[in-house]
Amino acid sequence: MSLNRNVAPEFHLVDKLYFPAFETRETSNGFNIYALKAGVQPVLRLDFIFDAGLVRQLRNAEAAFTASMLSEGTSKRNALSLAESLDFYGSYFQTRCNADDAVASLYCLDKHFENCLPLFLEALIASIFPAKELDIQKKNSLQKLSVNEKKNSYLCRKNFYQNLLGESHPYAAFSSKENINALDRNSLEVFHKTQYLGGLKYLMLSGCFSDQTYNALTDAVADLPFTKAQNTSEIISSPISNFGKHFLEKNDSVQSAIRIGKISILRTHEDFRKLQFLNLIFGGYFGSRLMKNIREDKGLTYGIYSVLEPFKETSVWYIDSDINSKNRESGINEIYKELHRICSEPIPKEEIETARNYYLGSFLRSLDGPFSLADRLKIMIDYELPASYYPDFVKILNSVGAEELQALAQKYFAEENIVEMIVGKK
Amino acid sequence: MIQYQKFTLENGLTVIHHFDDATQICALNLLYRVGSRNEDPNKTGFAHLFEHLMFGGSKHVKEFDTELQDAGGESNAFTSNDITNYYVTLPANNIETGFWLDSDRMLSLDFNQKSLDVQKNVVIEEFKERYLNQPYGDIWLKILPLAYQKHPYTWATIGKEIGHIEAANLEQVKEFFFNFYAPNNAILVVAGNVSFEETKRLVNKWFAPIEKRNTIIAPLEKEPKQTDPRKEHIYNDVPLDLIVKAYHMGGRLDPDYYACDLLSDILGSGKSARFFNRLVKEKRLFSELDTYISGDADPGLFLIEGKLMKGVDFETAEAAILEEIEFLKNNLISENELTKVINKTETNVCFGDMNVLNRAMKLAFAEFLGDIELVNTEIGHYLNVTPEMLQEVAKNMLIENNCSTLYYHAKS
Repeated sequence: MSLNRNVAPEFHLVDKLYFPAFETRETSNGFNIYALKAGVQPVLRLDFIFDAGLVRQLRNAEAAFTASMLSEGTSKRNALSLAESLDFYGSYFQTRCNADDAVASLYCLDKHFENCLPLFLEALIASIFPAKELDIQKKNSLQKLSVNEKKNSYLCRKNFYQNLLGESHPYAAFSSKENINALDRNSLEVFHKTQYLGGLKYLMLSGCFSDQTYNALTDAVADLPFTKAQNTSEIISSPISNFGKHFLEKNDSVQSAIRIGKISILRTHEDFRKLQFLNLIFGGYFGSRLMKNIREDKGLTYGIYSVLEPFKETSVWYIDSDINSKNRESGINEIYKELHRICSEPIPKEEIETARNYYLGSFLRSLDGPFSLADRLKIMIDYELPASYYPDFVKILNSVGAEELQALAQKYFAEENIVEMIVGKK
Repeated sequence: MIQYQKFTLENGLTVIHHFDDATQICALNLLYRVGSRNEDPNKTGFAHLFEHLMFGGSKHVKEFDTELQDAGGESNAFTSNDITNYYVTLPANNIETGFWLDSDRMLSLDFNQKSLDVQKNVVIEEFKERYLNQPYGDIWLKILPLAYQKHPYTWATIGKEIGHIEAANLEQVKEFFFNFYAPNNAILVVAGNVSFEETKRLVNKWFAPIEKRNTIIAPLEKEPKQTDPRKEHIYNDVPLDLIVKAYHMGGRLDPDYYACDLLSDILGSGKSARFFNRLVKEKRLFSELDTYISGDADPGLFLIEGKLMKGVDFETAEAAILEEIEFLKNNLISENELTKVINKTETNVCFGDMNVLNRAMKLAFAEFLGDIELVNTEIGHYLNVTPEMLQEVAKNMLIENNCSTLYYHAKS
């Protein structure tokens, strides 16, 4: 039988997504540990989630510096000794300061967990923010900032958020030179005391860990001096937007950085998952309209994406690209043309199906590793979403049609209240 | 332990199967034994440009990505000095779509002018975005020609200059394809929740009918031993001075490779590394100072790269690096410090093996190097490194006559 290469082999649609079972255990002092066992390699990640994000800082740079200085010395050992011990057991200590929270993570092999845990906990509890270490971090950060300020992409991102949300909005907090210089160790100490020691939200353990590890963690946490994050009423002010077109001149650049976007809906909004899908079709994957038109058909850029970025109190939707300065106008025209098209014409059925199949396949991929599962679990916890949240995508994507998507586009991609930020040559 | 089975088709295609039923997906990784080192010195950047063209339609398939997305799949590729590597991940029960698509583009591309024109532009924009429009983006373009005088590693994968990419034409594309993109010049790895029998059936159905080709790979010029220090100063609109020191080291299968890798960790990886503690924190000469190896198949580079603190001059900064290197040569590394970097390496290997696609790539690259068992023996090689070996490597490699130094001055 000769082979017919003109016909695609039959394929199956993803008709079910499973989110694996996870366990919740409450420690004797009242903290939840969410444990998600998956994978076969004997590795694990332990996350402590704190109410210590940008939204809680009283001055710029405070939250990020507190997070990054947790490994810079405790009452018992200095930064080097802490780093040497953690490195000796092959582990990684990582802190991340997000907009709405801060996460401290320990990555290690299961066999080294009980050696690493006391060191990790010591850093979280007994950090002393030595003045000397702070000074080093400040100087190094200033050097980094000076490099960032030479990057169009950084300047564009910063100015975009500040125009869309307002300079004083916590989600648009970018540390300036002055902010960094003004930091002192007392403010970090206070921030640590109130938002870390007094702001633990929950813990997550993921990977292929042993029962021994799980029990050792449960016991250790019971003795720790953390208190729970208070459900403080939200202090975030509403965005103060400066809509319209903004331009920052950088005459030496061969490419212009472009960000165009607007405020969008919260993750808990009933349209959110459908909007994620619409965004995928518009600019969220390699087969998206922006990519196909502006890169694959016209060759104007190396990459162009649209991103729906949900924060707790507001969401931001934007289009992001670097385009040759010479072709900038035609690139921007094409972006607006695509925006107009998705609002004014129904999306063809085949295009919806391709995107749907891809999206469901990508869920399978992302549900594959324990850490990406843990990232999704975190979203479920933070937004109090039901266990069916991800599996339900199958139903949602199979039922959403062209008409509904067009209505969503008109509602959420309309060309009003847009911020356009361009950094590049005049 | 990564288990696998390997066989070769009559047309020369090497096939490796790795089974994992803990996942619902399957990865297809197709490695072609061609990288930028195989390019004509006057047509550099071609292997990478070609990688882009592989997504522009093949003989029977107009749109590679759309067909793949329809079946829930995703794909990408990368080009290095040594190889061009394509990968696809799909729900395991749709893996045949990957076989169809990847075999068709091995059979023949559709060689269309429009795809070439567009992708030339895309790659030129990539060149600008990553190498020209970034502070320090051109380091690699500057250090390679200094370090290599004969071997084709002297140019970067993206190419020597934009002009080479602009000049590419369809004739060259065809010639390149039929020479290098042959079954006998490729390694296919099928990894994930697909059985060995099914793999065999699909390979026979889709890849076996492709004819063997007459692939000619020109021998590469060997890099002569460097005998004098090389130095270059450049001045650019960047905020900080930066120094790069590049030392020649062995290739990926060189017995000293593992010692070099660990040595780079001891000096420059993580918060307990020597450079960070002595030169960044104690002496405050740098704000960042990293050490890494290029990891190429042929003899590669051991690199030290750092940004100087404002107000520190190159002489002081470089002298401090050299002092640390002298210290390495004169004082044996403690067992404790060695265990630390080996433990770290073990963690990295375990984390790397978590993902089925990573395992597929690792298998393909080890086979390319000529020792597929490396996927399992690698960690043993690291465990065999002794303090004496590290000292020996430091003494032989980290000498100025073996070094190219780039002084990247901030134009004020």
